[in-house]
Amino acid sequence: MGEEAIRIIMHIDMNAFFASVEQQSNPELRGKPIAVIGRGRTVVTTASYEARAFGVKTGMNTWQAKQACPQVIFVIGNNREYTRISVEIMKLLQEYTPLVEVFSIDEAWLDVTHSLNLFGSAENIACLLKARIRHCFGITCSIGIAPNKLLAKLASEMKKPDGLTVISPAEVTRVLEQMPVQELCGIGRKMEQHLLMMGVRTCGELGRYPVERLIRKFGIVGERLQQMGRGIDESPVVPVEDEQEVKSVGHSMTLERDIERRQDILKYLLQLAEMVGRRARRYNVAGRTVHLTVRFADFTTIGKQSTRTNQTNQSNEIFKEVVSILDTLDLDQPVRLLGVRITNLCYQRQQLPLFEEERRKVLATSAMDEVNERHGGFTVTYGSVLDSGEKGSFVISPAWRPDGIRSVDVK
Amino acid sequence: MEFTIEKDAFVKALQKIQGIVERRNTMPILSNVLIEAADNVLTFIATDLEVGMKSSYQAKVIQDGRITLSAKKLYEIIRELPEEPVRLITKENDWVEITCGKAKFSIVGLSPDEFPFFPKINESGFLTLDSSKLAKMIEQTSYAICHDETKYNLNGILFKINESPEGHRLVLVATDGHRLSISENNIDGSDIESLEKGVIFPKKGILELKKLCDEEEGDFKLGFIENSAAVIKGNSTVVMRLVDGEFPDYTRVVPVGNNREIKVKKEIFLHSLKRMAILSSEKFKGIKFEITNDSMEISSSNPELGEAREELEVHYSGEKITTRFNARYLIDVLNIITDDEVILLLRDEMSPAILKQAGSEDLLAVIMPMRL
Repeated sequence: MGEEAIRIIMHIDMNAFFASVEQQSNPELRGKPIAVIGRGRTVVTTASYEARAFGVKTGMNTWQAKQACPQVIFVIGNNREYTRISVEIMKLLQEYTPLVEVFSIDEAWLDVTHSLNLFGSAENIACLLKARIRHCFGITCSIGIAPNKLLAKLASEMKKPDGLTVISPAEVTRVLEQMPVQELCGIGRKMEQHLLMMGVRTCGELGRYPVERLIRKFGIVGERLQQMGRGIDESPVVPVEDEQEVKSVGHSMTLERDIERRQDILKYLLQLAEMVGRRARRYNVAGRTVHLTVRFADFTTIGKQSTRTNQTNQSNEIFKEVVSILDTLDLDQPVRLLGVRITNLCYQRQQLPLFEEERRKVLATSAMDEVNERHGGFTVTYGSVLDSGEKGSFVISPAWRPDGIRSVDVK
Repeated sequence: MEFTIEKDAFVKALQKIQGIVERRNTMPILSNVLIEAADNVLTFIATDLEVGMKSSYQAKVIQDGRITLSAKKLYEIIRELPEEPVRLITKENDWVEITCGKAKFSIVGLSPDEFPFFPKINESGFLTLDSSKLAKMIEQTSYAICHDETKYNLNGILFKINESPEGHRLVLVATDGHRLSISENNIDGSDIESLEKGVIFPKKGILELKKLCDEEEGDFKLGFIENSAAVIKGNSTVVMRLVDGEFPDYTRVVPVGNNREIKVKKEIFLHSLKRMAILSSEKFKGIKFEITNDSMEISSSNPELGEAREELEVHYSGEKITTRFNARYLIDVLNIITDDEVILLLRDEMSPAILKQAGSEDLLAVIMPMRL
């Protein structure tokens, strides 16, 4: 392998992003244990480092958090603000390389291989980034520098908060030898358990495991797994513009409170259908298959889909479709989350309908979209959505790139 | 039942009903053909309850009777038989024995009593039409039929008779909501009430009707029984249930204020469109038109491949127009046009366009542009 083949990849991860943003916008919260929760919700989405010191963790209930840290301050999340700051930070990253892959609202990879001529070393770039992000937004971040994305992410996780970790090519084997497999991005709890059953606990063991047996067990992923164990990852840093074709457009929202009445569910579905429709229209795509996701109070989640004979991106048609799916479901519990998604996409430049009534509908929709585009979502909307308070996705989800086409979903 | 028939006649009879028999197998009897033998005539009947066909052939009937057999299997068998007379005899429990030369088949059918009723048709009051004329009219419209089954009222062709100073005009109209095609022709007088209101022939029925018309030249008869249309030609009768729905008022769709006339040679236009369409991918189907005095520039671009443009000589004088169409829609029309020159009538970039032949008025296509 020639010298040129060695890439220098950086992974940047904002520390306690939501909590840091809150502390920054409200100085009274600085230095105090705070936990960000969803509107009308009781689950902690992010805890500040001060709160983490007491054992407050993401996913805890408010009362569990209170138990762990009686003086914890709960703050209701402000998605719009997080998104705004995230976009600003990502813009800043692009000053150092055009190869910035936004992974989530608070994480990104940078390929700085070719930026070194301008900025000296990767460490120098990292220090510049850390200083600027702290100066502009008051947020600290952890940065990992390594020869590929997998290792860069691993490196950034190694020291938090405010860390800077470098894994040089020569160190890869040593670092991975004792590294538990679940530290690797892409190995979840299930996979970890499967591997444990096979006697694989560390990356070193995974890398030495016979690849045929991994393939037999996990299919084609097996080969990839072994490479991960060896710290090999060829995947390029894909900047936003080059992203592959989108497969679905969707939105989901965790409701302010669990709801049971059909009427209420419909109201949210209409809202979601409009959000999905508008996003699809903005990107000139239309979908043939409509999906509905319903999560119940006890977190059981069901999804169902139906395929139409023709593509649509009209909100009312998407709505009609999800309602007919809803009516086939057994709703024996209050609903916590609703999600609407269209797939089977095709790109269409707007073909205008021949018949005037339909044409008027299409033109009215695009006029509505234009107003909403200019003055913010739901400035003009369907009457039946009106009395349900604030519109939009309340969920604190990886709602990164809110203007992108890809689905915005709760994980 | 027992009869003998020449192999070729048998194959032809079975081939004719292949398009009719039900493929989805919801009712097994519908994938069968009913064969009736009486008075030295064999009658073959097939139906899917929407479209039915009955054809008669001369044969040597030794014993009258009826049987139903799988239309597809029977066709496959008869087609492969040697060129000799075929003998068919029914046995007990709907078994049938087929012999031809030294080949012998025993196959089982279904009781003819279960076969749906085929209406008796009284030809009085039927309209007489010319096959080749109607075949052409169907060709001029069927490309625009809507295939989206949710828009069932557009899944066919509207047949309508209009009164005009020159006499009765038969009008066929099809549309899919993005484009519309109208074909008109004079016919001999008739007072069929349902045709004056307009009726919608189903897609599948149209296909059968077209085949019937293409088979051989000559006249055929068209009439209506309740909510079905019946077509009689030679030894065959096709009955189809009309689409139960309201066809949109096509006259309102045909624009009247399109005063920008562009005349262009058909072959040149068609080939240029086909070339330009190559780069208008699935993703971005539209191709762009920029029309200035005596020139039309067609271009297409595809972010994944590149772009293409071509300039054509046309007859046009007036302001510059820029518009965008789905190339497919124009190509479909040009493919069925027989004249050497076509006329494109535009108004502005957001209004429907008219495409017609320069030399004759029998075809008029309306195409909606795409947004720029």
